[in-house]
Amino acid sequence: MMQHNRHHTPSMPTITWTWIVSGITFLLAILPGYAHAIPVFARQTGQNCVACHAGGQFPELTPYGRIFKLTGYTLGERTVPLSVMGVASATKTKNTDDNVQGGNPRADFPKDGNAILAGGSVFLAGKITNNIGAFIQHTYDNYSEQSASDSHWKGHTHSDNVDIRFADRFIDPNRDLIVGLNVNNNPTVQDVFNSVPAWGFPYQTGLSATQPGFDPKIASLGQNVAGVGAYVYLNQHVYAEVAAYRAADRGIWSWMSQGITTEQMSMVKGLNPYWRIALTHEWGPHNIMVGALGMTTTQYNDPVARDSGDTDKFRDLGLDAQYQYLLDPHAVTAQVSYIRERVSYGLAHNSSNASAFFDATGTISQHDFNDNDTLKFLKAKVSYSYHAKYGASLAYFNITGNTNSMNQNAGFDDTGELVPAGNHTGNLSGSPDTRGMVSEVFWTPIQYVRVGAQVTAFSKFNGASTNYDGFGRNAKDNNSLFLYVWAAY
Amino acid sequence: MKLTALSACIVLATSIAGCASPERSRNMANPNTSAQTLAAQVCSNCHGLDGNSVSPNFPRLAAQQKNYVVEQLKGFRSHNRSDPAGFEYMWGLSRSLTDSQINGLADYYARQQPLAAATADDGRVSSGRDLYQQGIPAQSVPPCMSCHGAEGKGSEQFPRLAGQHANYLVKQLTVFQRTDERPEGSVMKVVAHGMTLSDMEHVAAYLQTR
Repeated sequence: MMQHNRHHTPSMPTITWTWIVSGITFLLAILPGYAHAIPVFARQTGQNCVACHAGGQFPELTPYGRIFKLTGYTLGERTVPLSVMGVASATKTKNTDDNVQGGNPRADFPKDGNAILAGGSVFLAGKITNNIGAFIQHTYDNYSEQSASDSHWKGHTHSDNVDIRFADRFIDPNRDLIVGLNVNNNPTVQDVFNSVPAWGFPYQTGLSATQPGFDPKIASLGQNVAGVGAYVYLNQHVYAEVAAYRAADRGIWSWMSQGITTEQMSMVKGLNPYWRIALTHEWGPHNIMVGALGMTTTQYNDPVARDSGDTDKFRDLGLDAQYQYLLDPHAVTAQVSYIRERVSYGLAHNSSNASAFFDATGTISQHDFNDNDTLKFLKAKVSYSYHAKYGASLAYFNITGNTNSMNQNAGFDDTGELVPAGNHTGNLSGSPDTRGMVSEVFWTPIQYVRVGAQVTAFSKFNGASTNYDGFGRNAKDNNSLFLYVWAAY
Repeated sequence: MKLTALSACIVLATSIAGCASPERSRNMANPNTSAQTLAAQVCSNCHGLDGNSVSPNFPRLAAQQKNYVVEQLKGFRSHNRSDPAGFEYMWGLSRSLTDSQINGLADYYARQQPLAAATADDGRVSSGRDLYQQGIPAQSVPPCMSCHGAEGKGSEQFPRLAGQHANYLVKQLTVFQRTDERPEGSVMKVVAHGMTLSDMEHVAAYLQTR
């Protein structure tokens, strides 16, 4: 399990919506209505984004898009292997007042209510040889860290998703066999379905929008690990893959974690196995996938002082499914994912640690930390897109798990005084339970610009619907509205 | 170290295998890639290895008339055919095809066996059969079979329609009727002029069962 830490405060000059609207108008004016798609894969095949992306909704893949990826991004013509992507956005959180929790609203909800240029990515991607292709993303985060002296935000570049492949395809009337090898830095980024963590909805999130505090480990290792895997896709029915991940901290792997310091790294120990199986079937305009995946991760509790050998162990097992109805101009896509995580804690987190909190009388200490936890992560989403131009998505998420005093960051001290978390993500109960919905509408005026409005609504946060932190904050106070303009070239 | 060693093996294996077989190339820019290879490695992704596409988004090409496929591929390549199905999917893939590759692809699909037609027994099929065989004189719609043949197999001048996805046929009839995006099929603009959407759906339902 992983508790998110966010630490921001404002100060970069903000841009105005006038600039954003002007920018879109300019793009619409200069770009032809149905030109070849610009991002590099579209340049390589000469096709529109909709050929590979279901209903034009990046990053959801059509059956053809999946084959394109599994054959190593090698279909088409070699071209200048560069693309760029940028996102301008604004986020408004329902309640940003966390002074009573000891927080600083301007730091805890950075740029809330302001239009910002959140950042952008450069992609080095596409066909290299007839069998080798790549997708390498490098990202600039405009709000990466704050200066301690004047609290100004500083931008920062870092390695993002990396997926390098070798693939071949043996196809004749008797069999269709795709085989491949893969190097990547984010478990599931190599997958071709949108029910896995790396490519699951929501595809954009707001800078200041509060997110659930718990993720499965398999979804938390991006850019911290380097993995090598092998896969097969047989007769467009059976997909199977195995991979092993190590820490991307040194040597030839370190470029995949560029921008992350050793101290910040989720430092996994040794080789950590990953497996994936998926069954697919296509009939008429419909296609369906049911699958399973798993990963066992051993992670050092201190990424620097590893000699102690103290580790936590995470066993993730996921079941997922995807359905698509693709018949121009309609595209309906639905995904569901269930991941169960079992955690065995090492010395730094196990029952040898006493809780820092007490009961309301200040006399009875809370339980010691648990030796083991089980968490369950359920996500489901359905989308509709018309003419690859207008669309809407509705998603549900539900995180449940056993209570662990380790999760508490707010509670009673030994005098019976309530101590706040220092921000709005206090957890009084020690429960990870968090539940809510994400809904989004989007407009894609041209295929490389998307405008979206997304609402995240929590019905439970850190174990409670109301007063989850002991200081009167309710789950719905974290609801947010997120507006964005995404563009790629 | 283990992963590094594993990767070294993979790089080695990749280098050996990297001497890619031209029979399995997906390189659209190489004029030497054979039509057979393109059909298997590229076109099959949407149209099926034997030209019997699964998704109605993509037309069935099995046993399609050679001349028609040649004309369409050249129309995509020159951007002369500009309906959505054309420019979204086919402009790019056809941009570097040589005439020789186009001929080879057309030969390939003409040789494929169409799957047994879907069976359907609703009112639309019988109504569509009447339309196909007799036209709609009152709406100045001529019989389709007069050009496309009694069984819808087409001819040197006219495409095969039998067994085609109904959804694709309706879309193309609509393109002919309402746009000039397929100038090579301008004769169909006149033919389709008097058809209602319901007429199109009926005749398409019939043809899908042929």
